[in-house]
Amino acid sequence: MKSPEPPLKEAINYYGHKPVESIENREAKRSPGARANKARELYFEAKSSASVEFPYWYTRRWEELEGEIPIVRRGEAMKAAFEHLTPVIYPGELLVMGKAAYLRGSYPMPWLSEAFFMAAEDKLYKEAMESGKLTADSFTTVGKGGGNVTQSSGNVISIAGKFGLRKEELPILMEVAKKWKDKSVDDIGHKYEQLVPGYKEKEALMRSVICMFDSGYTLPQGREVVNFYYPLQYGIDGIIRICEEGINETAGSPGMDRIYFYHAVILMLKGLQSWIRNHAEEARFLSSLEKDEKQKQEFDEIAGRLEWLSTSRPRNFHDALQMIWIFHTAVLNEDAISGLSPGRVGQVLYPYWKRDIENGTIDREKTLELLECMRIKFTEIDCFASMGVVGGVLSGNTFNNLCIGGLKKDGTQASNELEMLIMEAGITCDTPQPTLSLLYDEKLPEEFLMKGIECTKIGTGYPAWVNNQVAMEFLLSNYGHEGMQMEEARAWSIGGCLETSPGSWMPLELDGETCWIPGGSAPATSVGVHFLSLPKLLEVTLFDGLDMRSGERIFPSHGYALNSYDELWSAFKTYFHRAVHVLTLTNNIQHDAWRKISPSLVNSMLKPDCLKNGKDIGQMGSRYNTTFNVESCGTANLVNSLASLRKNVYDDKKYSLADFRNAILANFGFKTAQETGSYSLIDQVATEDYHNWKHIHKAGLDAPKFGNDDAYVDRIMADWENWFCTMTHEFRSLYDQPLYACQISVSTHGPMGAVTMASPDGRLSGTTFSDGSVSAYPGTDRNGPYALFESASCWDHSLSQNSQMNMKIHPSVVKGREGSRKFLELIRAYMRKGGFHVQFNIVDSRMLKEAQAEPDKFRSLLVRVAGFTQYWVELGKQIQDEVISRTEYEEL
Amino acid sequence: MENNCKDCKYYLPVDVFRGMCKRDKTNIGPDHEICAKFDRLPKCKFCQKYKAEKEFLGSCLGNTIAYPDMNASKCAGFEWVR
Repeated sequence: MKSPEPPLKEAINYYGHKPVESIENREAKRSPGARANKARELYFEAKSSASVEFPYWYTRRWEELEGEIPIVRRGEAMKAAFEHLTPVIYPGELLVMGKAAYLRGSYPMPWLSEAFFMAAEDKLYKEAMESGKLTADSFTTVGKGGGNVTQSSGNVISIAGKFGLRKEELPILMEVAKKWKDKSVDDIGHKYEQLVPGYKEKEALMRSVICMFDSGYTLPQGREVVNFYYPLQYGIDGIIRICEEGINETAGSPGMDRIYFYHAVILMLKGLQSWIRNHAEEARFLSSLEKDEKQKQEFDEIAGRLEWLSTSRPRNFHDALQMIWIFHTAVLNEDAISGLSPGRVGQVLYPYWKRDIENGTIDREKTLELLECMRIKFTEIDCFASMGVVGGVLSGNTFNNLCIGGLKKDGTQASNELEMLIMEAGITCDTPQPTLSLLYDEKLPEEFLMKGIECTKIGTGYPAWVNNQVAMEFLLSNYGHEGMQMEEARAWSIGGCLETSPGSWMPLELDGETCWIPGGSAPATSVGVHFLSLPKLLEVTLFDGLDMRSGERIFPSHGYALNSYDELWSAFKTYFHRAVHVLTLTNNIQHDAWRKISPSLVNSMLKPDCLKNGKDIGQMGSRYNTTFNVESCGTANLVNSLASLRKNVYDDKKYSLADFRNAILANFGFKTAQETGSYSLIDQVATEDYHNWKHIHKAGLDAPKFGNDDAYVDRIMADWENWFCTMTHEFRSLYDQPLYACQISVSTHGPMGAVTMASPDGRLSGTTFSDGSVSAYPGTDRNGPYALFESASCWDHSLSQNSQMNMKIHPSVVKGREGSRKFLELIRAYMRKGGFHVQFNIVDSRMLKEAQAEPDKFRSLLVRVAGFTQYWVELGKQIQDEVISRTEYEEL
Repeated sequence: MENNCKDCKYYLPVDVFRGMCKRDKTNIGPDHEICAKFDRLPKCKFCQKYKAEKEFLGSCLGNTIAYPDMNASKCAGFEWVR
């Protein structure tokens, strides 16, 4: 019998007028120069590729030094790995070097976690044996999905559905991985986290996907801002001298632990010097083969520049840009890292650029070309991690956030002409990395803001618009006890997709002048309890501690009869508190294992004041250390569900809680998202049973929804935020600092939604949650953007490290100069209300539908997800469906 | 021992599926047949100190695990097999 038509489309109407028939394109955009265009074409054709070179040499040297002091052992291992990396330079590059010997190269780090390979050994070997049976033609299938190697073929093994590994490297990968068994951060952390009272609850939380992943061994660094001051000011030889002086001052004296740090940094830097010189040598070799005079000259210039930078501080803008790229890549090579942000690059490099412009050694055209090349290099970065992390959290993104705007040390506006060119390069050469964030402040000039609008309008999703004053308020509240004052708060930047990160002003000397440049001054600002699924926790609350998908008991009974809304709210808070408690303790142990086994050297050396203190970031060598947090996911679904229960059960008494429980178990009479293969609510399919549940489903859907300036539901949002942002301070990090709230979903709203049953707001089983934390659930914000802003700003955003709002606007709405003005006023209105962040997809949803059906035609299509921009074809279907279903504003 | 493009010092890897020739920038695959300009890249399998033990695995100096396709151009101990 044919299933009845789902009546959902009547219940969930998109805001605005019926769109016109034809697909509206984004406003015309410009193209990159020939050099960047060629490099980007090569990128589009390249697949994510893993190699074993770095882990092989790292592990080999590590094993040779059994018994050595751990941080020195690590320095030796890193030195060996860097000096043996195969240098690779591609034709036409002006900025060179990368993580590994492939364009999109990366490699596993079994000293962090080897369990993934061990568990997959049989499967990988089987695929290695069978992959040859697949013809080369099947590679074209792999091509769908951009650069992801989604299946094994020929002599290539697919790992984690993304990375290709040459078949001949699989056995050595397994052998290297085995050497880390019971020694990796993952294994050691796991051994000791079991000592935490109530540990079994942690395992249940992970199995139920109430919590998504452990940061200690998956992505122990990142979500932070690099500081480029030391290489720019001193050059590598200069930093080595600082370390040698440190050793001379402390060897044999009390507190001499410092000498091991300094010694390890020297070793690591010697490895970097070899790595750089090896590339210089390769450039000379390529020059010797080159017949084209221009290319030959460029290879020679690259060689000369690298030879110089292997010892000395940069001489000009191009040198400085190459130098920061080298150190950015070097940090990425020391750990599995996502969200390593270069920070306010336009302000760091401005002194060099201004001088070069004034003396005529560079012009704007050449600058734009270099900046386009920089965009390509950042876009090439890949992070090797397991499928759950790469796909479920990161969507393959690496979150290298470059910030523009904000304020200078003296409180005046900080934007400059180089930042205008950075935005121009973001327009002409639209790539996912580095994503841009504009630190909005009322002092920024109109011309600068309008350039930001021009960039946003082309549909890349960047710059994200971030409230400078709100961020500084957050930093002063949370880092004040570590000595942060207003002046230093101005040096902040975004680390990762949207993590407010502390910075410092550093005195760069150039031509006898002191230029105060901003840079990061804290380790990873987003490690801790990651992520917590709020709707799933509510589900467990409603079923008194049970995960109804698996039937597993997660918590003991909460003991509440749930006879009132207050009891429901108290029970939810009890479970949430309990989850944060156990996860904080286990996470602290994992990070302790990380800092003991795999201490950071490159990043520590860069971060003030590690060199001064002689301590790495794991020993609190950084200036600021209050960096652990609790991350949430699915805020709007939690709030809408609470509103639905309050309205339907407790206020109107239309249904009992048991009615809702039964409706949830029956998925309101619908098939699950897994059955339909679609993850947005609008596409779900009803069963014959639907008529038994349609009234309660409608009641859930009709209940007040966040995002409409409705006090009934906004009060629930404010209650949640005020409680959440305060309760996190009760918990202490490894560094004995209080935790804070972090509210970005990244991509977790896909997989977390997939394992969550229907929710009382009418959302169906398996469908993706709302994104971000102050975004409305797709299709439910029906009163326009200003009503959404009212709802979103019903709480003080400076209480949290961030709040995240994604909006989708139809291209026709912001067309032309008038559209730009309206668009800027819209953003300004939100910032003035205290909104922390807003970002946009300027796109016609039907184009996305078309791209989903025919991905090959849309290889270069970019969309904004939740704090990052990504190629459409490299996103999983859960996230694609969610982006398509977001409310599309057709008027402002 | 059969050589192919990935064993050549003029091979520039783009990804695991393909690369280009450093001499003329033409697209080639790692497993493609070699041409007349082939010149061996230092790899463990071409090193005197490497001993093959099983498929894709061997040892270096008899005591350290190694693999035949490792690029050894930056290995100080590399010696061409005679």
